Amino acid sequence: MTRIRTENLGGAKAWILHRPHPSVQGLVRQLGVIGLDVREAWPELPSEAIAADFIFYDADTGHDEQFPWAPGQSPMPMIALIGSEAPGRLRWAMEMGAHAQLLKPMSDKGVYAALLVARSNFDRANASGALIADLQSRLSARQTIVRAVMIFVMKGKTEAEAYDLLRQTAMAWRVTIEIAAERLVANYSNEKGLDDGRRIDPA
Amino acid sequence: MKRTVGIGVLLSRSGMYAALSRASRDGVFRGVEEVNADPSLDVSFRVNERDPEGRLDRYAPLCREILRDSGARHIFGCITSASRKEVIPELERFDGILWYPVPYEGFEASERVAYMHACPNQHLLPLLDWALPTLGTRAYLVGSNYIWGWEMAQIAREKIAVAEGQILGDRYLPMGDTELDHIIHDIRTLKPSFILNSLVGDSSYAFLARLTELKRETEFADDVAVLSCNFTECEIDAAGEAAEGLVSAGPWFEPDGGSGGSFHEMARQSVHELAQLLHGRPGAEELPLAELLHTALRSGRATRLDPVHLHARQPAIIARLESGRFNEIKRLPVTRADPYLTQRSQPVHTGSRLKVVS
Repeated sequence: MTRIRTENLGGAKAWILHRPHPSVQGLVRQLGVIGLDVREAWPELPSEAIAADFIFYDADTGHDEQFPWAPGQSPMPMIALIGSEAPGRLRWAMEMGAHAQLLKPMSDKGVYAALLVARSNFDRANASGALIADLQSRLSARQTIVRAVMIFVMKGKTEAEAYDLLRQTAMAWRVTIEIAAERLVANYSNEKGLDDGRRIDPA
Repeated sequence: MKRTVGIGVLLSRSGMYAALSRASRDGVFRGVEEVNADPSLDVSFRVNERDPEGRLDRYAPLCREILRDSGARHIFGCITSASRKEVIPELERFDGILWYPVPYEGFEASERVAYMHACPNQHLLPLLDWALPTLGTRAYLVGSNYIWGWEMAQIAREKIAVAEGQILGDRYLPMGDTELDHIIHDIRTLKPSFILNSLVGDSSYAFLARLTELKRETEFADDVAVLSCNFTECEIDAAGEAAEGLVSAGPWFEPDGGSGGSFHEMARQSVHELAQLLHGRPGAEELPLAELLHTALRSGRATRLDPVHLHARQPAIIARLESGRFNEIKRLPVTRADPYLTQRSQPVHTGSRLKVVS
């Protein structure tokens, strides 16, 4: 029989960070039924937990030092186990980066949904984070592009010609326009100094 | 001397899927008769029955009534997943156990439900494994508009994508609806290699009838196969001639032309499974289901239910309806259930090989 990989949860590794308690067994059982490999830890997550696919953590008595990463920086989806719905505890659980939650007492209910919701939220947060980093670096490169264009303008090109020249240069060097601009600006600053052979004579 | 244990029955004697629930109900009562007449078992059952009449909102209150008023803890019943999900909170609240002897779509493992029929790694996946190389890879999916229809289509879609097949369309009909023009129009235009029919009850019979008319059209000369994981012998009368040729997957088909099919047989076997678990163990009916199974296994008894996820191990049989009877096409060995489709499917008996019966 060919295998289908519905949601790819088979063999995924989950750590449960919770003091030993009978209700944890309900969660352990259900994760096992779903097909995950389950480990328990308390009071701290060991460093090997960094390779986990999911972390379930106690929101009632948890604190920052239990995790081998900074709040909100988990490299995997995190699911908060919430007993006390007090604002302080909920704020901490959210600061730690809850991608989903389960209410105590844990049972056979809601576990599969929590896994899927957590992973979806985690993936979406990662994708947004990557997009934001990319946009930020493009934004900071804008000033460099303007300076590179100005170099050509100072040498007698129109603005349109200067921009076109910058684009052609980037293509010739097989780099992004941002990187080409950065090199041109650096070369111009050292015009009388080093010549790395990438200078373009704008004349 | 037998001790008497009360059990509940929660199956509809009327409504849109009455043919199915009547088969299930007959199976339960047959099982009870057999257990009560069996002198080798020290337990006999007394039935407390409620009839939800196929109405979804009646299941939870009637389940509560059985648990609270009759003292019975083990209930045999429910046909649709919707009704099963309705009663689970009642089972939790009043410490009941549901014996659920019909096929379902998986993705559930309540500690209070004995899943006694088959789930997709025991019906749909083997069926598609057979269908894709045999019939072709252009699939059309049709189902009743609730969780059974939706999830069967979802799993089929994933499976067919892996096999590089094509989903030509998927359509859902409200329970009991027989307005099929748009679906028949699709099929006439698209000419799929097969149709996965996950319609339930009257919608299914109407669909099969319309499809038979379509096949009579001269321009629709090619036959189109209809597959199902929920059509059994108990619906042959209701569907009539139109069901001929349908290919079904399930854990059991009638060997001698009986009309109950696996709905009847798995219900009957569920009663026997409980009787076996309670035999010689007074008070065991009060144990949580997992504990009941674990202790039975430790004392060397065989159980059909898996003590971890409480699903039955089952063979997967694929059969075609010919002259009013299902003839086996293929039989896969007894396999552990994989309700979340995350395990590798492993046959229970490592020695048995795939048999092709023509």
